[in-house]
Amino acid sequence: MFVGYISWCYLLRRRINSIGVMGITVGVGALIMILSIMTGFLEESRDTVRGSLADVIIEPADIPTFDGKRLPKSADPLIAAVLKEDGVLAASPRLSWGGLLIQPGGGGFDSIRHLKNAQGNQFVFAHIVGVDVQSEYTTTNLREWLTNESDARVAVENVDDPFARPEGYAGDEPWAWIVVGEQLAEYRGLHQGSVINLITVVPDPRNGEARENNRKFLVAGTFRSKDNEVDLSRIYVDRWELSDFLSDTHEYTQVLLKLDDYEKRRDTVDATLTASLKEQGLIVSDRVRSYEVRTWEDFRGSLLGAIENERVLMGIMLALIVLVAAFTVFAILMMMVTEKRRDIGILTALGATPTSIRSIFFMIGMWNALLGCLFGAIIGVLGALNIDGIERWLSATFEVQIFNRDVYMFSHIPAVVTPLTVISIVSGALLATAIFSFFPAWRASRLHPIDALRAE
Amino acid sequence: MSQATHKDCLLVAEGIRKSFRIGDREIEILHGANLELRRSERLCLMGASGAGKSTFLHVLGLLEPPTEGRILLNGKSTWDLPMRERAALRNRHIGFVFQAYHLLPDLTALENIILPARIAGAYGTLPFVKREAEQEAAEILERFGLKDRLKHKPNQLSGGERQRVSIARALFLKPEIVIADEPTGNLDTGTGERVLELLFHEQQSRGASLLLVTHDERLAERCDRVLMMEDGQIQADSSVVIPH
Repeated sequence: MFVGYISWCYLLRRRINSIGVMGITVGVGALIMILSIMTGFLEESRDTVRGSLADVIIEPADIPTFDGKRLPKSADPLIAAVLKEDGVLAASPRLSWGGLLIQPGGGGFDSIRHLKNAQGNQFVFAHIVGVDVQSEYTTTNLREWLTNESDARVAVENVDDPFARPEGYAGDEPWAWIVVGEQLAEYRGLHQGSVINLITVVPDPRNGEARENNRKFLVAGTFRSKDNEVDLSRIYVDRWELSDFLSDTHEYTQVLLKLDDYEKRRDTVDATLTASLKEQGLIVSDRVRSYEVRTWEDFRGSLLGAIENERVLMGIMLALIVLVAAFTVFAILMMMVTEKRRDIGILTALGATPTSIRSIFFMIGMWNALLGCLFGAIIGVLGALNIDGIERWLSATFEVQIFNRDVYMFSHIPAVVTPLTVISIVSGALLATAIFSFFPAWRASRLHPIDALRAE
Repeated sequence: MSQATHKDCLLVAEGIRKSFRIGDREIEILHGANLELRRSERLCLMGASGAGKSTFLHVLGLLEPPTEGRILLNGKSTWDLPMRERAALRNRHIGFVFQAYHLLPDLTALENIILPARIAGAYGTLPFVKREAEQEAAEILERFGLKDRLKHKPNQLSGGERQRVSIARALFLKPEIVIADEPTGNLDTGTGERVLELLFHEQQSRGASLLLVTHDERLAERCDRVLMMEDGQIQADSSVVIPH
């Protein structure tokens, strides 16, 4: 009790301690805020990437082949097989193909044969995705993407059938309807009813040589995935329309799965499915860990890994602030031990032991840390939870754009405050201060009481 | 010194030697000093500067271990005890009054006075109840003429006032022994006289023993006995009983 009392008195009555408290407050607050924002970015990015890929993607490597060892052309046997697997909630077929998007009237460039006439800005590399809409909705976030609110949105008329001809559309073209990424629509000036040309290359079943296919489509609306790459290049079309466009060479290239508990099954699902599907002759992989069965993290692992790396590096750099703050406490305590030499002698004369003297100075350090952590945690948590409002206010006040929402396509700055993060940062700050406080406290306890009493 | 004599004595020092190492040299300050402090006695220790009075006082006050010899408090050897018990003894049985007052500058007069009680509370030798302790300390300060100085810090007090606070602190736990090292050394004659009056009066009324170190012969005359210290030893023939 007396140790706590004296250390608290010294803390309050020596203003220099406020520097230590402020240092730890800034360090802890900044660390909580930045790590929470980075965690928010990571989670938001994971959601976005995961939403475009589904939990598991099966991509049989051998459809079709021209060497006689052909897998079933239809996705149905594969879907029927995976739906029997443990933990698979839903499965949807996809036909994923590459192509070029051209807006008609672009200087006569409407075929690969006229490529020499093309200018770079007249075509876009397109990722054409053929989907069974209702089935796709059970495995990915497409329905949500079609309804995401934004200024640039061109809404599809009927979300349950986005490729249907809009009722009010006056034209009578026979072409199929497609849904394009919001950014692609914005940059190319596409709106409902816009005509685009898609050019692609398909294998000729007769001789296996590449053959150009070219067809016009109409834009039904846009989607917004928050992933720049997807929003700039992906085009959704009905799977059978695409199959027809590809001269009926393919019906599907991927099967997307939704699992009941992805986190539980993520490490084993690919090996389990590979073994089972291989046995049934639905994939041909001879590897234990197949590239034909991948989780969404396998597909975009490097992107998520990069964000995670940034988070860790940022954490390490900011942890240095806490270390510097703890070192400030060390310097303050060393100064106080010198300044309070006589007090140490007096306290010893009144009955204090070296242990209690050590405890007093150690406690001063820990009071610094406790108050700093308390204030830092409050500032950090409140700051992280209100970072969007703070950023908007700062941007408006100083008339500078601090966070460009278009870069990540986030409507807000994401921040996720987890108790574990806060507890880890606070524990780290307390531990660092405890380590840095120990030596000054030990030095105080080693002072000879008589020398201390004689100190001027 | 016989055991029978020890029984009557509160504090006994037997053959105290104390040496310090300075560089390669070992310098002996106390050469077998002996002392007996009886209950309620006012004992004066005099001697020239450098005779070893302060060092002897520190050894007697359990602040400094002797190189050789024993210190008995109420018949019990003290330096054999573990550090914590010795510190508790110092807290509970010995009050110090220093020439330089030695008050904690960050605490008020009231807080300085109740500090020994807080420490005793930590040892569990006396229960500490803040309100009661503060009330008692306020009464003492009022008696000492410092009623308006309760919340003042040492730097807001005069020398005489600081020494009165220091005396109040030394006596707060009603210790059996008060060790005063030149308590009026930093005060002018008039203030010193008043402070001394206070110290003697409180010591007498509480029945404590006072061990006083001074150069002032007039002060020594007001003590029950005077011991002369010379060259690190108590002179055998220096014990003088002064009739009051």
